[in-house]
Parts: sequence; C-alpha cells; structure tokens
Amino acid sequence: MQTLVPKRANSQPTHSRAWNEVFSADGTPRPAYAPLVEQLRGMPLTTLRKLDDSLEATLREMGVTFDLSRGKSWNQRPWHCDLLPQIFTALEWEQVARGTRQRLNAFELFLRDIYGPRQILKDGKIPVAIVLASPYFQRVAVGLPRPDQAFLHLSGASLCRRADGELHVKHHYFSNASGVSYMMQNRRALTRVIPDYFEGYSIHSIVDTPTDVLEVLRKLSESADPSVVLLSPGPGSAAFSEHSFLARRMGIPLVQGNDLVVLNDAVYLKTISGLERVHVIYTRVADAWLDPLAFRPDSYLGVPGLVNSIRKGAVQLVNGIGAQVADDRALLSFSAVIINYYLGEKPLIPTLPTYWLGDIDQREMVLGNLENYTIRPLYGERILTPAPSEELTDYRRRQILKEVQPAASGFIAQPRDADAVTLSFQNGKKSQRTQDHIAFALRLDEAKWDIFPGALTRISTENSPYTASELGGGSKDTWVENLVSESSAAPETRRSVESRPPVHHVTSRVAEAMYWTGRYLERASSLANMIGIIEALELEELNATERQLYRPIWNRMLPPLENRTESRRNLSSSRGRYRLALDLNESGSLINNIFRASANAESVLECLSSEAWNVLTTLRSKFQTARFREELSESKQRTVTKRLCDTATQSIPQFFGIAEATMVADGGWNFCLIGQMVERSAITANALSSIVNALLTSTSQNARSEHAIEIQLSAFLRLFSCRDAYRRVFQMRVELAPVLELLWEGTSIPRSVQRCLEKISTLVSESQPHSSHAIQRTLAEVDSMVTAIRHTKWDPLVDDALAIAARESASKTELLRHVARLTQRTFGMHHFIADGFLNHQIHMNEESQPQLHGI
Amino acid sequence: MVFEILHTTDYRYSAKASEAYIETRLTPPLLSHQNVLDHRIEFSPSAPTSSYVDYFGNKVHFYSMTLRHERLTISNHLQVETRPVSLPTEALAVPLAEARQILNSTLTDVFDYLHTTEAIPTGGNAKPWVKRWLKNGTPLGRCLEDLNQQIYRHFKYVPGSTDNATPLATVWRQRKGVCQDFAHVMLSVLRTGGIPARYVCGYIESAPTPSSTGKSLVGSLATHAWVEVLIPGMQWIGIDPTNNCWCGDQHITISYGRDFRDAAPVRGTFKTSGAQSLKAKVFVKRLSA
Repeated sequence: MQTLVPKRANSQPTHSRAWNEVFSADGTPRPAYAPLVEQLRGMPLTTLRKLDDSLEATLREMGVTFDLSRGKSWNQRPWHCDLLPQIFTALEWEQVARGTRQRLNAFELFLRDIYGPRQILKDGKIPVAIVLASPYFQRVAVGLPRPDQAFLHLSGASLCRRADGELHVKHHYFSNASGVSYMMQNRRALTRVIPDYFEGYSIHSIVDTPTDVLEVLRKLSESADPSVVLLSPGPGSAAFSEHSFLARRMGIPLVQGNDLVVLNDAVYLKTISGLERVHVIYTRVADAWLDPLAFRPDSYLGVPGLVNSIRKGAVQLVNGIGAQVADDRALLSFSAVIINYYLGEKPLIPTLPTYWLGDIDQREMVLGNLENYTIRPLYGERILTPAPSEELTDYRRRQILKEVQPAASGFIAQPRDADAVTLSFQNGKKSQRTQDHIAFALRLDEAKWDIFPGALTRISTENSPYTASELGGGSKDTWVENLVSESSAAPETRRSVESRPPVHHVTSRVAEAMYWTGRYLERASSLANMIGIIEALELEELNATERQLYRPIWNRMLPPLENRTESRRNLSSSRGRYRLALDLNESGSLINNIFRASANAESVLECLSSEAWNVLTTLRSKFQTARFREELSESKQRTVTKRLCDTATQSIPQFFGIAEATMVADGGWNFCLIGQMVERSAITANALSSIVNALLTSTSQNARSEHAIEIQLSAFLRLFSCRDAYRRVFQMRVELAPVLELLWEGTSIPRSVQRCLEKISTLVSESQPHSSHAIQRTLAEVDSMVTAIRHTKWDPLVDDALAIAARESASKTELLRHVARLTQRTFGMHHFIADGFLNHQIHMNEESQPQLHGI
Repeated sequence: MVFEILHTTDYRYSAKASEAYIETRLTPPLLSHQNVLDHRIEFSPSAPTSSYVDYFGNKVHFYSMTLRHERLTISNHLQVETRPVSLPTEALAVPLAEARQILNSTLTDVFDYLHTTEAIPTGGNAKPWVKRWLKNGTPLGRCLEDLNQQIYRHFKYVPGSTDNATPLATVWRQRKGVCQDFAHVMLSVLRTGGIPARYVCGYIESAPTPSSTGKSLVGSLATHAWVEVLIPGMQWIGIDPTNNCWCGDQHITISYGRDFRDAAPVRGTFKTSGAQSLKAKVFVKRLSA
C-alpha cells in the first residue's frame, strides 16, 4: 500500500523517488514502524475513522486550533494530527540534536558579529546586502543589551529528508520557535485517544517542555523572584492557541501590548490590583511591531518605550531584538560558510540546496527550470510554486515569473522534491503525504543547548498539498526513541508533572474590555426597552394631551453619550425609532451599541465562555443582516424596529445570565457587571435630572400644571418599566418627590441609583483577593454618595421648587442644583473605576511621585 | 557666529491623553564647525527623562508622561557657535568614478548610506538624473554643485505641499515640496549613483542681519533639512538643495540618519480617545558674528 499510484503521474515527477519514511524499498515497514503499522493494518476502515474522529474531537476539546482565516471568528479551525506518529530512532535523533546545536551556536555568533564588529562582512564571506539590506536587520539592536548576552534562547529548525534518506535543514526558525505547543498537544491527544499505542515503544517524554522554558526565562533576570510574561499579538494571530497554551502551562500571564506600560524606564503589567513589575518578556510579537517609537510607528501590538527599557537593562526580551535576520532564507545558502567561519566545522546536517535569486546565475538556472524548484520569499510561509503533487501550468509559470523577476532578490528556491513521503490515516483513509519536521531547542548556557526530544512533524493533507500549517497542512506526533531507560518510557499521562498553582492576573486591558462590554450592553438594553415600550404604547390609544406631554419626556430619557456631539436622536416618531435602532450613522443607536459591545468582547475572547459569546454573535448577526433603509415604508420600519428591539431585549439579559453561569467568576467578569451598573446608574441619574429640569423649567404653563406633571411622570415611569413598582411601594398617584425617592434610593428597585452604586461596591471588593488603595477610594466614594442620597429630603425640596415653578421658570432652585450635583457624581463613578483599575492614573501617580507614599 | 535658538513642539489633544511617550533627537553634536555653548530640553508636563546615543550617533532623550494631560510641550533651548566651513577642494576635485570606487571599498561601513530605505527609494526617477549630472569623469565637487542646483531649479519650495507621509514618487511627479523632500530627492540621486550620503536635520538662520552678504535662506520657521555627502578622506560635507548652497555657518546641525524617519527630531506615541495636533516653531536669533 505504500505505492499509491498518483492520479496524474506526470504532474508528480518527484513522488516516485522520494524517501519513504515508513516503508523500505521492498515494501516492508521499517523496523521502528513495524509494530504500529501491524496494529493499524489490522483495523477495519470504520475503526480507523472512529479513531481519527475521536483524535480530532480531543484536539478540539483541548482548544488546539490554528486559525487561518482572520475574518472568521476565533477558534474555528481545529488542528489536525495524524493517527500514525513519526518515529525517529535514537541514532537519527542524535544527528538532529548535534546538527541543530551546531547551527544555533554558529548563528548566535553570527548575530553577535553582524550587530557588532561585522567581521564576516568585512572579510567578504557573505554579500553585505543580504544582511544589511534585510528588513529584519534592526539597527536599534546594535549595542542593545541582550538576556545573558545571547540573541537566541528558544529556537526552531525545520528539517526534511531527501530521496537518499539524508536529513537536511530546510529553514531556520531560530528567532521564533512557533509550534512548540503543537508538538506537545499532539502527544497529549494521542496518549488520550490511543494509550495502547505506546505499549512496546520506549520514547522520550516532552511533557516538561514548558517548565524547562520557564526555568530558563526566570534565570535571565537578576531579580530573586522574577515575573515573566508571554507577549502575544492577541486572538488575531493564527497561533494564538499556542500562546495561550504555553502561558497556561508555564503559569505566566498571557499579555498583549496594551497590558504593559513603561514607567521610569521599567516595564509594568497593568492589572486590576495595580501595576506589577515585569522582568522577562517572552515575545511572540515580531520585532517590527514591538515598540512604535523604535519600529513601525503604526503598531498597536507593541509597548511604547519597551526598547528604552531593554536598553536600560530593566527588562529582558526573548528572543533578542534583531534575531529575526538569522531566519532570512537568503542566509540559508550561506549556512555552511557561517558554520565554518565561526566554528571551523562542516555542517553536521547539510542545508537543503537553497538558491538566492538575487544572484543572477542562480536566478537564471532556477527560472529556466521552474518545474524543479519551490520558490519562497525570504521570510514567511508563502510558497509561490505548486506543491509536488500539483501541476505547473503555463499560466502559473507566467504568474510566478511576473512576480519574481522584478524583485528577484526577495526570493529563494529549493529543490521541489525535498520532502519525504509518509503514510497518513486522515479520515481513516490510508494515503501518501509529504512531510517535514521542526525541532525545538532551548538555550541553557553559553553554547549549551537542550534539544527537546520531539518535534512538530508537518504533513500535507486532504485539504492542502503543502506541509506548512499556515498553508493548511496537518501534523504528526513525533516520537524519539529512548535507549537510556526503557522502564521510564511510559506514556505521558502516567508521568507525574509538577504542576504550578495557576496565578491569576486579571489585566486591566481585559477588565476594560469587559467593563465596556457591560456598559454598551446595558445601554443597548435600556434603549431597546424604551423603544419597545413606545412601540407598544403607540398602539394603545393615548389621548392628545398625553401624546403631547409624553413625547418631550421620552427624548430626555435617552442614555447619555460619551462625546457630546450633536445627536438627532428622537424616540417619539417611528422613523426616529427606526433610526435609533438601526442607523450606523447615529452614534447612540442600538446597532452601534451592540457592535461596540461585541467588539469589546471579541478583543478578550480568550476570557469569555463560548456559550456567552454565542449569544452575542447571534445578536450581532441579526443586526448585521438587517440593513438600514431610509426609504422603507413607515409600517415596515416599525416591524423591523420592533423585531430588533425584542431580540435585543431578550438576548442581552440572556447574555448576562449565561455568562454568569459559564464564566470563570474572576475579576474580569466582575468588571462586565460593574460596567452594567455604572451605565445603568448613569442612565437613571441622567433621566431624573432631565425630567426635573423639564418639569420645572418648561415655558408652557400647561405642562407645569399638577395634572400635566402627573402625566409626564407617568410616561417617565412607564419608559423605565417602574410604574408597577411605584404603585406597589407608594400606593398613591404619581408625584415628583416619591418618583425621585424611588429611583434615587429605592433599594429594591433594580434601576435605582443607590442600588446600582451598592452593587458596584460589592463587585469592586469581590474583584480582587486583597484590598487596595483604588478599592478603598471607590468604596469611600460610593459610601459618601449613598449618604448624600439618603440624606436628601425630597419632599421639602420638591415643594419649594414647585412653589417657585408655579410662579415663574424655576431654573435656579435648590432641587435642580442638588439633582445636578448627584448626577455629576454618578457620572463620576466611571472615573473612579477607570483611574483606579483600568488606566492606573492613581497608581502611576504613586509610582512617579514616590514622595507621596504613605500619605 | 553665535546663535540663540528656541524650538518648541506643541501637542494638543481634542480629548485628554492618558499616556504619551516621546523620543527627541534635539541635542546638537560637537563638530569642528559647531560648538555648543548652552543646551537644555524642557518637557511640560515635567517628568524624568533618560537618554542614550542611537545607531547614527544622535543623543536621544526618552520621555514618558503617564498621567492624564491636555497638552504636551517640548522646548529646545540652545546657544551655538558656528564657524565657516572650508571646502576640502582636493577631495572634491577627485573624478566621480574614482570617488565612488574609494568610498565603496569599505562597503560594510557605508552601506547604510547607499541603500534604499522605505522613505527614499533608489533607481527609478533618480536614474536619468544620475546619468545627466553624476558623470564618471566630472570632479565630485562639480557633480554635487550641479546636482544641487538642478534640484533647486527643478523643484519648487512650497510649504505645506507635502507631509511626512508623502511618498517620494509624489514629490518627483508634482515637482514641489519642502526641505525634507529636497533632501530626499538629492539622497535618492546620490545613492543611485553610488555616492554615500545622509540626511541631516537642523536649524537655519533665515533673516540674516543687514551687515551680512547673503540673501534670505528658506526653511527657518520649522526645522530645516539638508544632505551630507561622504567624500574621499571619509569626511562628511554638507550641501543644501533647498537653498542651492554648500552648508556654512548659518546651518546648525541637530541630528543625522539615512532619512527623515531616522533623524526625526521628535517622535511621539499617544494614548488618547481624540486626535492630537502638532505645532512646531523655531526661532533663530543671531547674537554675534
């Protein structure tokens, strides 16, 4: 079965003579594979398929993904791992390890040289332009301190086996060991799904990889108890699941640029408990995006001032800035020169022949025989040429030449038949696939590298003829034969792992996104409620007076907006309500609030439960599909408005309910609820202050009559869904003083300001295990506000005001002043939350002015 | 001549900023023709700064403001004494081809000043200019003067006609720009022609006192920019295509780089919900001849 006949023999000129990893030339399995192949051969197709399905399900359950499409929602594409593992014999692996060490030693010296004396360039050993014109050569790195002097600490190298069975180095991943977690996850999944596989095999364990990495990272700092973080570009990155896994396994915070701040040359992590000093950063953000002051000014992924902090020795960054140039493919063809120049040795693993197309002779040779080569840019995973199994059409050939010729020095070529073939069982079907491997190495000390005894073996799949994960390739668990102690070769699951207690840092970025999710959802919910109530009201017959008096009140109750720009918001006409529901140009519209809430939630997706996120995406997509159409008839608009408001009115509380039941109840989630309460109290306070203003300062005498006031207050209560509550509490007709009392201090009324404030108090205290200055400050403010609200004597204030209002416009009564003060303070809660927990104005004040400590 | 200079950079935000990070390259270097009598940089709101010397030899100040603020001002005060620059006639008499050969013999050292940068593409539009004005047999000095004059004539100095993001191709096409564009055009031609050259940012005296001979020089209300060319003997010599002259004692140097981005006197990153606007002003006052 190893001799699968290619469908189009002529389009696969290379397969027939590629090295077969699993079978020897006579068709018998190679010794290392024999027991496994026997086992798999005996299985019926249905069993194989079932195993494959359960392997896929296990990986999905473990959250292992590699997301190719950025447009789609996160966590969509599960990682593919094959049923048959790759096996390296001890002897083979010894060569891999020695060869990788040698290369890393040579390239470390190379990096120190080119960012220092540049002797190799001065000696004319490699073209100056390949190094100095590389976009990855970072001038900033010249003279910049490096962790333990070294550029490279955690590295990868890609290997392939050519037709003669010799391993070759195909590409350097020295600056970015992307794939380490997939190596581990494959093993975890396989041991779970097929534990009996491992019987009779003695292989090395890779389970301690993250612990080993963390130990090395911690040693790079001089601090006695260094704090290490993993810096990720965030959920937009395809390998985000890797970042998240590594951080979790190392027990360190997974952060994004916005989580860190540079203060007095040092780097701090912004958490809801304050600023925490960071000593070591393991970065998965490429150099160019690390610091907008030093590199791309348009980068939002980095930390402004980070390079300055590195320069001052206040933080260690792994791998060192500038290391990326070592992965420039143009340098591959000079690997032997580099190894010889610095070590006086020949490469222990040869480099796959690599032709730099900036060289005219090489370019002519390659472009003249395009069918024999794979062409790639100097960096990244793109491949211009068809995979070995695909045909090079004339059209494709022209396209390639058109792209390569004008910018030839940006490309390299390698032989097309570089990869070995292996056996794969994707979907239970036996098929032949091409493969390559990435081995990973950890620097322990000067010129001392630990090569993890495992690898990420990448294979082509049903969906992709390429091996690269970025191009849709799959993978195999990779076993390395263990000769040393056969007895310790039990499966991973049986090994006891030193587990670290998970350190839980809720970063301010997460809290802030949660907070705004809560605020926007509450705003959307209030708005949807109001619109829905009015739509229902309009259907009942309101009398003319009511209609006339209701309308002005409604618009005053709309949620206040951050930027006080001109707003044409109008609740009292059905067109206005349609616009409020669906117009993207109206910044306070329902659709905008829902979009903003979703965007905030999406930015911290890793902290949301998928159940809760599903509610939001469903809600969002309902608004996305309903297009705003000004020309629609009024009745149709009303139908749409009603439908959307109903959806929002149902979905938003549903989100809070489901989240409450499915989310980790940590500080992050608390901030979503805090946001909800801050918003709700602001809407109530704003509406109360507006209505008092409206009633007292109306120019129309009619509107100030007792009867009119009652009608207006009634409209007010209806819109807040509080009319029943009012009746139950007061059992009297609607008057101003009781309304104010109810909504300011009604402890049993969900909308009341005091109730919201008290909830904020509880949520803030519960958000962290220990109290802090920021918490104390917030609690004190809530206390003082609650006291102010409680001590308000509404009856005399209202009586006075109404007495004045009966005679003239009462714009300067004590009631108005008092309500305005309380409203301002309610709005001010936002600043207490934001400054204390989200943007750290208070903490930074303490940090940058040390003399204030203890006051 | 002795100059007193005040250069202010003023950022204002439409909404308060909660964080701001600034790097300045505002410290004039000590040169054979430039002596610094007094120099200080003030940041408002005030905060501790730290400094370092960058890849191009510029002294950089790093400033961070992590408290909410409405406005941020950087004032660069300096008193500088300049001396006339005497042209190295011998080196400038070397034919261009020979000069190119001498300079390129240490490629590793001069590579940065020969190669394309994102802001200054080489080749393309520059090629015909190289052919016309950088002839192999012509003395280097003559080539530079000719090129300088041609750029001065071909392009129109129009304040506001470009900004920092305008690509050089647009400048070539519209034939107008500001001093930064004049310098970039000249650098593109020189590098395409194999002559290493760098970008210089500084100040210029615009309204000389009546006793002086010169005409009024363009470029003084903001920072000025010109070009320095590496000539045989590994010496940098300044030339100013905006004013069609060699640089002299009216030019005050503050920073170097391959292009504007490297040498930018002030770089900033802000965290604010609104927009920020920037106003820069330069006052140059001659104290004595």
